[in-house]
Amino acid sequence: MEKRLTQRSAWDKVLTNLQKRSLWMLHYCTGCGAVELPPTMTARFDMERFGIMPMVTPRQADILLITGYLSVKTLKRVVLIYEQMQAPKYVVGFGSCTINGGMYWNSYATMKSLDQYLPVEMYLAGCMPRPEAIISGFTGLIERIDRGEANTWEDYYKNYEFYRKNQEHLFGSIETNVDVVGDRQYYKFTEVQQ
Amino acid sequence: MNSVNTGIQLVVWIIAYPFIAFTVGVFMGGYGRKFTARLQRRVGPSWVQPFFDVIKLMRKRTNISHGYMHDVAMMMLVGGTIMTLYFIPVPGFTYFAQYGDFLVIAYLILVPSLGMALGVGETANPNGSIGIARALQMLAGYEVPFVLTFIGMAMLNGTTSMLDLVRIQQSGGMATWGIVTNPLLGIAAVMALQGMMNEKPFEVIVAPHEIATGPMTEMGGKYLGMMFIQHLINLFVETTIYINLFLGGAQNWVELIVKQFILFTLILSVNGVFGRFRTDDAVRFMWKVPLPLAALGVVGIMLGIG
Repeated sequence: MEKRLTQRSAWDKVLTNLQKRSLWMLHYCTGCGAVELPPTMTARFDMERFGIMPMVTPRQADILLITGYLSVKTLKRVVLIYEQMQAPKYVVGFGSCTINGGMYWNSYATMKSLDQYLPVEMYLAGCMPRPEAIISGFTGLIERIDRGEANTWEDYYKNYEFYRKNQEHLFGSIETNVDVVGDRQYYKFTEVQQ
Repeated sequence: MNSVNTGIQLVVWIIAYPFIAFTVGVFMGGYGRKFTARLQRRVGPSWVQPFFDVIKLMRKRTNISHGYMHDVAMMMLVGGTIMTLYFIPVPGFTYFAQYGDFLVIAYLILVPSLGMALGVGETANPNGSIGIARALQMLAGYEVPFVLTFIGMAMLNGTTSMLDLVRIQQSGGMATWGIVTNPLLGIAAVMALQGMMNEKPFEVIVAPHEIATGPMTEMGGKYLGMMFIQHLINLFVETTIYINLFLGGAQNWVELIVKQFILFTLILSVNGVFGRFRTDDAVRFMWKVPLPLAALGVVGIMLGIG
């Protein structure tokens, strides 16, 4: 990682600096917490100041915001959505349910830790995180992108077997239309040996 | 606007003109988002936010192609728009405008829509198909009044050349502007322009909450970036066409840009306070209000009143 950072060219830095000003967010709000997003987007807190906009399709989005718990069934959909998104892509877990299951820890129907199934770039802790926390979290994400550190999405390709094993442990075998192993070669990532 | 470029000057203009139009388009797009944000009492994004968006989209690592037509359509989109751009006279660059009149522009301006239809058809996304159907429906809505207003202007001035129209309008100051000599046509055209620029209440094509941005649903990365570039150049194209037809063109670039921003502000103000019409309502409005207005204007000109 250290070597990679020092090798970034000046041109790359300039472009990243422009790139970080535009982040489009796909919010997956089947759990709770969607109610915190409208004040974040509208006049009171105005997320668009930072160039963060809600987007409606996975193809266009950069951020996949997952609010609250995910049941086993919805996690399956989230995996399908995540694989359709175009890299670089950032998963943001919102609320304590995505971190450790939260108040649904004992539930048989929800997953407990999102980072077992998808590479999570950042967590917004709280139950619920207030709009201030969301804004401050996204500002942190922008800083990470600026420093070239927001590379967690690569982990999904490098560690695909790990994630797929955990996913299939939850809901059995799953067929997606995305050839992740083929994409790994396209990105020239090497597989991490378990 | 009498300069006719030759030689090296022409080559420089041909290369620079799309970039100039894109730059103006970026500022117009950013201004649009800022203006809407201020209407909603938000701070709003940066003034050049569309530029950041384009850079971001062009730097996406994944670009999913759905086939040959999907790739070619993006070239049709941007190429068709730039082609239209060349035939629109602006201060300092009128070379192509003296050979191609408004009919050429009216023909070329359809190429991006057709390109979009073909490309989106290949992605086979139902939302995309609905978006395209709506786009073509709206085309039937706004194109008829818009072309009719142009026919009126051509009859009034006895020429179909946009360059000559601009010259005639500039001959007598503000009194010879199209909007003054025939206000009916001017008003009909500004309503049609609202639909042409895809702003509310005629924003039926993109409609994010309804059909997930319609034609753009399956686009991402560089494909969406190309669509953004086309959209930004198109802002320049559409406002300049209206200015050349009704607001007396422009004698220098400052005048052109000031007029563009004033016109765009008008359109954005309507955009800011309206919701979205249904497609059939939008088309019905286009055929109920601007079309009779334009027809009335043309009849007036035929009877020698206009």
